[in-house]
Amino acid sequence: MTAPVRIAQLSCGPEYSGVQQEINEAAKAVNGEIFFPDIALKDIMQNFNEFGLDVRSPDLKLTIARAKALVDGRVDADAVFIATCFRCAEAAIVRNELRRYIHTSSKLPVVSYSFTERTTAGTLLTRMEALTTIARRRALLARETQQGITLGVDSGSSTTKAVVMKDNKIVGTGWQPTTEVLKSAHDVIEHAIKEAGIKRKEVEAVGTTGYGRFLVGKEINADLIQEELTVNSKGAVYLADKQHGPATVIDIGGMDNKAITVQDGIPGTFTMGGICAGASGRFLEMTAKRLGVDITELGPLAMKGFSEQVPMNSYCIVFGTQSLVNALAAGSTREDVAAAACHSVAEQVFEQQLQEIDIKEPVIMVGGTSLIEGLVHAMGGLLQTKILVPKYSQYIGAVGSSLLASGFIKDK
Amino acid sequence: MTEYAPKNPGSVTKYIVVESPNITPSELAIRAYEISQGVIIKETCFGLAINGTEEEVDRLIAQLRTVDSDHIFIKDRGFLPGDPRRCRANLGGARPGFHGIEFETTVLPYISTGLEELRTRDAEGIPAPQNPLDRKKLDVYILKKLIETQEP
Amino acid sequence: MAKVFIYPTTSLILSDLVARYGHTPLSSAIAIRERIQTAGIESIPLQITPEEPKKGLRWAAVEVPSGVRGRMALYGPMIDTCDAAIIINDADLAFGCMGCARTNELVKYLIRQKNVPRLDLNYPKNEKEGIQFVAAIKRFLETLGGKK
Repeated sequence: MTAPVRIAQLSCGPEYSGVQQEINEAAKAVNGEIFFPDIALKDIMQNFNEFGLDVRSPDLKLTIARAKALVDGRVDADAVFIATCFRCAEAAIVRNELRRYIHTSSKLPVVSYSFTERTTAGTLLTRMEALTTIARRRALLARETQQGITLGVDSGSSTTKAVVMKDNKIVGTGWQPTTEVLKSAHDVIEHAIKEAGIKRKEVEAVGTTGYGRFLVGKEINADLIQEELTVNSKGAVYLADKQHGPATVIDIGGMDNKAITVQDGIPGTFTMGGICAGASGRFLEMTAKRLGVDITELGPLAMKGFSEQVPMNSYCIVFGTQSLVNALAAGSTREDVAAAACHSVAEQVFEQQLQEIDIKEPVIMVGGTSLIEGLVHAMGGLLQTKILVPKYSQYIGAVGSSLLASGFIKDK
Repeated sequence: MTEYAPKNPGSVTKYIVVESPNITPSELAIRAYEISQGVIIKETCFGLAINGTEEEVDRLIAQLRTVDSDHIFIKDRGFLPGDPRRCRANLGGARPGFHGIEFETTVLPYISTGLEELRTRDAEGIPAPQNPLDRKKLDVYILKKLIETQEP
Repeated sequence: MAKVFIYPTTSLILSDLVARYGHTPLSSAIAIRERIQTAGIESIPLQITPEEPKKGLRWAAVEVPSGVRGRMALYGPMIDTCDAAIIINDADLAFGCMGCARTNELVKYLIRQKNVPRLDLNYPKNEKEGIQFVAAIKRFLETLGGKK
């Protein structure tokens, strides 16, 4: 067993919300160890004054002082976890500023989260896993080319994807909606292998990611079982050929959305949202169904419309759909309605997630929703930048897994 | 979810903080051990943490206070002495409450002075401190002076 | 003996002086002790479970952050039962139980609303203020009855 990753906790309120135990358990599950940076009272006052963000809450003062001790190297840590109460404005400012400060002033990977009393270890697990992976596997994440023959499987909440890669090229793919997790995985693997024109036993290393990564990984004896935050950012910069310098990766998924800032292929800060279906690919699926078009046709349809023509009163998947139905009844065109649906999803992701990270160009959109042209267009409009959608972007997790898995070939 | 079974329920834990020119925490600890009669005593950097039944703890405190009453301060503690959930060795850093005590320790000498003074003086004769809620208004005479000193 | 709510609720100084002059200080340690000594589901470090922020709904609405409501589950009952209160108004360095400024504002407000005898002070900054501070507390506690 390797030594646990030492995660410095900077927080206000988790003990009083009943969620400290959940934080500890999530860290423990990925061989991490939560600790609190030790500083003296005089350092608290000095660090706090030097930082210059004049908050009232003593625990936030302590949090700021501890962050400064970490950045100054007076306390050693492998990673940083920032957690404050959801709906606290004072803490939200501190959380954001500290994340930015630690990210720009140190090499420490950092993740932040605003919790409620309902936050569970399960919710925190993917974030903690990404955090410990970045801390522990920098060498693995530094990989820029795929070697040998590798298989990557992304067992997502909506769809399951597989790719076979050979000598730095994608030679086989498989895609289908997730029904039974293992059956879907086997089916897409079979398809990808067939398309690659190889035999299963020729595969030299296997990686899995996505919600079903543990189950599928165990079933197919994967060499690498890895959460999607690190895998997708790696896959995105690889496919977009932006492996050096900064980038931002946006993945609007079936169940949750990820926004990740990447530096030289390694994730820096990231957010992961997943409470509201109105900000997910599901909403666009429902819109397509209501408009009587296939999901693949929604994007081109939206490109011909103007979202401003349709009043959307809610981001909610139920009430938002109702607004679209009302608009159709009132004579709006299908094109405008499709555009409004794309804009609604993009705007919600923009407002709730993208403002929590510092967007660095190029912005790369990945995942199945990146094929919906209207959505990419709407997001580009909000961010005022041209968004890159690399080829095979819908296979992002599978490509990232396959790429990283080739790091395990020499071990065999 | 793990079930939680408390240790030593019904007992009382108190901190005894010593800020004295006359006695050190370890000397106080020795005195406490001599008269402990079953009370758990743990030495800390600023004094002692003691645990026992309420009567036992009250008895010990009453005796220890006589050692140097004006320089010994006592408060309740929720956890048992040395509880791993609050221990710096396990948390990496001090529990937040420690810094609160750290701060109040800097004020204790003034409190000791007050306690000593009140042994010989009646509290009634001592002026009340400024009420922090009274927002002081500018005295009209001071305002007049300020106006007069202004350059035309 | 009167039950005296102290603010900061973690204060060694107020805890000591209230007990020294014959009354019962209501401090956060008592509320934490109740939880630490009650069997239930494990929730380190304070044995405050996610149920506590729900109990806190009695004093703060659901849009108030969970950390405030969890803390109010500790202080609410103490505010409800106290006979008097001593408040140190410049307690800017009380961490942990007193670490949230929003909770602290609410606690002070609820105490003021309750209309019990109340003493407002600042920490003494020198010996003269120390004497005034202790004398004021002694006088205040004497008006509540109990031992002289």
